Amino acid sequence: MKVAVKILPRNEVLDSQGRTVEKTLNSHNYPVSNCRVGKYIELEVEASSAEEAQQKVKAMAEFILFNPMTESYQLEVL
Amino acid sequence: MKKIGVVRFLGTNCDRDIWQACEARGHEPVWLWHEDQFDINTVDAVIIPGGFSYGDYLRCGAIAAKSPVMKSVTEFAKAGCPVLGICNGFQILCEVGLLPGVLVANDHGKFIDTWVELKQENACQPWAGEKMNCRLPVAHGEGRYQLSEQELALVKERGQVWWSYKENPNGSVESIAGVMNENKNVAGLMPHPERAMFDWMGGNDGFSFF
Amino acid sequence: MNLQENLKRYRISQSEYELICEQLGRPPEGIEWALYSALWSEHCSYKSSKVHLKKLFSKSERVLQSFGENAGVIDLGQGERVAFKMESHNHPSFLEPYQGAATGVGGILRDIFTMGARPVALGNYLCFGEPHADRMPELVKGVVSGISGYGNCVGVPNITGQTEFHESYNGNILVNAFALGLFRPGEKVFTSQAEGEGNLVVYVGAKTGGDGVHGASMASESFDDDNEAKKPNVQIGDPFFEKLLIESCIEVMNQGLVVAIQDMGAAGLTSSSFEMSSNGGVGFDIALDKVPLRDSRMTPEEILLSESQERMLLICKPENLPALKDVFERWSLDATSIGHVTKEKVIRLTWKNEELCSIDPDNLVENAPLYNRPYKKWVPQNRTESKDVSVLVDDLQNYQEQLLKCLSDVRGCSRNWVYDQYDQRVGAQTIADCRQDVGVIRLPDSERALSVALGCRPYVMRLDSHEGGKDSVAFPALELASKGFEAMAVTDCLNFGNPEKEELMTEFVASVQGMSQACEALNAPIISGNVSLYNETKDENVTSTPSTGIVGLRDSVYGPASMVEKNDEVVVLLSKVQLKTGGQYAEMQKQPLRAFGELCPQKTANFVKDVKSFINTYEISSSKVVGKFGLAYSLARMTLGSVGMSVKTDEVLPAMNFSEKYFSENLYQVVVTLSQETYSQIADQKFDFELVKIGRTGGNHLNIDNKISIPLEELKQSYFTGWGDHFESLA
Repeated sequence: MKVAVKILPRNEVLDSQGRTVEKTLNSHNYPVSNCRVGKYIELEVEASSAEEAQQKVKAMAEFILFNPMTESYQLEVL
Repeated sequence: MKKIGVVRFLGTNCDRDIWQACEARGHEPVWLWHEDQFDINTVDAVIIPGGFSYGDYLRCGAIAAKSPVMKSVTEFAKAGCPVLGICNGFQILCEVGLLPGVLVANDHGKFIDTWVELKQENACQPWAGEKMNCRLPVAHGEGRYQLSEQELALVKERGQVWWSYKENPNGSVESIAGVMNENKNVAGLMPHPERAMFDWMGGNDGFSFF
Repeated sequence: MNLQENLKRYRISQSEYELICEQLGRPPEGIEWALYSALWSEHCSYKSSKVHLKKLFSKSERVLQSFGENAGVIDLGQGERVAFKMESHNHPSFLEPYQGAATGVGGILRDIFTMGARPVALGNYLCFGEPHADRMPELVKGVVSGISGYGNCVGVPNITGQTEFHESYNGNILVNAFALGLFRPGEKVFTSQAEGEGNLVVYVGAKTGGDGVHGASMASESFDDDNEAKKPNVQIGDPFFEKLLIESCIEVMNQGLVVAIQDMGAAGLTSSSFEMSSNGGVGFDIALDKVPLRDSRMTPEEILLSESQERMLLICKPENLPALKDVFERWSLDATSIGHVTKEKVIRLTWKNEELCSIDPDNLVENAPLYNRPYKKWVPQNRTESKDVSVLVDDLQNYQEQLLKCLSDVRGCSRNWVYDQYDQRVGAQTIADCRQDVGVIRLPDSERALSVALGCRPYVMRLDSHEGGKDSVAFPALELASKGFEAMAVTDCLNFGNPEKEELMTEFVASVQGMSQACEALNAPIISGNVSLYNETKDENVTSTPSTGIVGLRDSVYGPASMVEKNDEVVVLLSKVQLKTGGQYAEMQKQPLRAFGELCPQKTANFVKDVKSFINTYEISSSKVVGKFGLAYSLARMTLGSVGMSVKTDEVLPAMNFSEKYFSENLYQVVVTLSQETYSQIADQKFDFELVKIGRTGGNHLNIDNKISIPLEELKQSYFTGWGDHFESLA
């Protein structure tokens, strides 16, 4: 089963990359706000249900994929 | 003596080093600010120094490539005038399409600071003419040169490979350290000749580049 | 909230509370709690250490700026001056190694360019636990990539480093960052002394977010198991932003648009505004609602305590504000006036026109409590009556194998895995980098050489804190001398455990006294630094570690190499031995540390000066101070290039046995190599130290007294692959 992990900097944490990308877009006349730059990971796990897949990937996310101190994540079974 | 335009982006950090190298060779350096376009008749050559333009955010060189000064640099290059990109400057020239290929993260995943031995594959007249071998410092996290097989064959056939590493420090395809455009007036390399100008720096092989 | 809850929440003791009531004539109210909490924390007030720091040798004719400012400044002559300082970021680096180390580098850089100096060199002093300790490979990797990620991007070369490993750091690593900045001729030194009624208080740089709120008081606490709960304190650094801040701040300073300037470091806006006002003897009127925010929900208390990175506070004349804003805008940064300077020394903080407090800054800065915590008179530790302190273990008979073991041990192997990740040559002024004995850069105007050597050998501290303190200054000063540099001044970073424990405070006082004595004898004052206390986990203190950074000056850009480069040269040993110890080798063999003798600061300083003039008088090809693991290891390090060496000392040094000579540490000795011709010039000379010819360079082996004969390739194999054997996951 295919699962997507979306990782973004935590809301209260400074996103230096997002800040620079936002400024650049604005200065090139693409008005935007709240730009955040993160990571997107797609992987496949063996699972008999979406719930099981979610659970498995959740363990992986917490094991290594994201840094709880600076990032938050969302899972989506594709 | 040549008048050399030295491009400064936000986050460029080898700008003063290039300035010093140009002066050491008796040239007259002038700053080219990222927000400003320039008259291509006012300089004889352009150097894009290394650094972390815009923090290397998104991907290295991407944001710098969209800046006004690069419009003029492109025009200058298309007119056949000499342009040199070093390290981040090389990445930017690839990103704007003045040079073939792309530079991605080193194969070992780490920043690498070391001295490398280089072999000249093809001469680039405006920069470092005849020197066949040299030893220069590298310092980069994203210096792995990549391009497709077809492009590689074409680049080799046209003699666009400038320098190759004797020992590959980053996983570059065919150990390529520097390339030229088809016309051979635009060149880029990952090593830093401006850091090897005098013996006290640990070597002077960079001297002939400027 | 009742009193006890407030005391706990703001980490204020009962006696401190009483002092506050006395100062104010009433109990603290509202925002005052947070102000006292931050500024009276150990981290900001140095309340446990200040009485001892005041006694440090800190003056010389070269000192232009000493303690009390962001960094010390010394005069190098010819119009050139340097600002430098060292600072710890231990606690944040243990919690989040990448960001902790990165923001440590960012913070120390701001301390330097705040003075008006362009940062031109970085150094790092790191202490990790055993390679197999919990999280250790992850911590090593995170710290090193944090330093490299930040330092490389801002474009300041890392030119020197020291990396130590010991079990006492398993639960509390040390990350000390050194930075040095240069004032070229004509450039002005800036201070944090605010002045001029009606001048504006201007906020520059990143917007304020929730990063590190209460960070200063956290750094003043020990680690325990509820680290998880402390997570939100982590600060995020942006080296790209810092680079913009460096360029723009230097530009506005050079244009004469700045009256005074201070970075927002520990306790953020609170400490910067209170210190600027207190140092300058003026007041501030600040509207906290004008502070640019990343998160509009932040409360005044959070705004005051936020440790968001890459922010500066500066004072400028009202008429200069437009020009100042223009410069910052050019560098894509915002400058916002948040208040003004007032005549009376009072800080008035408002929030949407409502007064939050009105308080004398001296209450919080100058008149913060000082503690003379209990300590005992120092008694020499681990001394023996016998001169032979060499380690007696059976397997030492196999000297050859033991030497290779020293070279591959985690304490002795190459740290290139670390250094290769640092940009060591950006700036195009680097003469010698981290891979050499000392880091060296060129001064672009006078074309002289400036060097940085880091100090403190934790195993000497474990032997005896007083001797270790002296050695923390003397050893790097001798390293500088061995390359021909004169030690000019010192910065320190005092990493200790819990000062409320008498034995710990005793070590603190003994080592600080030792450092000060060594500095005075060398006439190299301590001009800046920081103190990091409460480095303990579950009641276990780290090794007391007073790390140092010493800056040296040499007229020529050329000096002796670190490795032997020429064949057929004479190898000479220069000695003035005062303290003999089993040292690092004893520790590696899990033998007790023992020592004979003690270091005399004056004798040591004389030796340092004599070595320096010896190096500069004669043509010396290569040199090395004999350090950890003793002479055999030092000779091996000198032969890791392409030229070997044969040494024989049974006739010239008959009084010592083999292990005493080669595996013990005899403080202090220096090895040099020089040509036959040069040797003939010195052979009959008298020196105030012992000078013995011990061998000759050449060949492709290291040969020592018929007991050791190792091909250079084998030495290199041990030295360069050792790291990978200890840190498989990082290799």
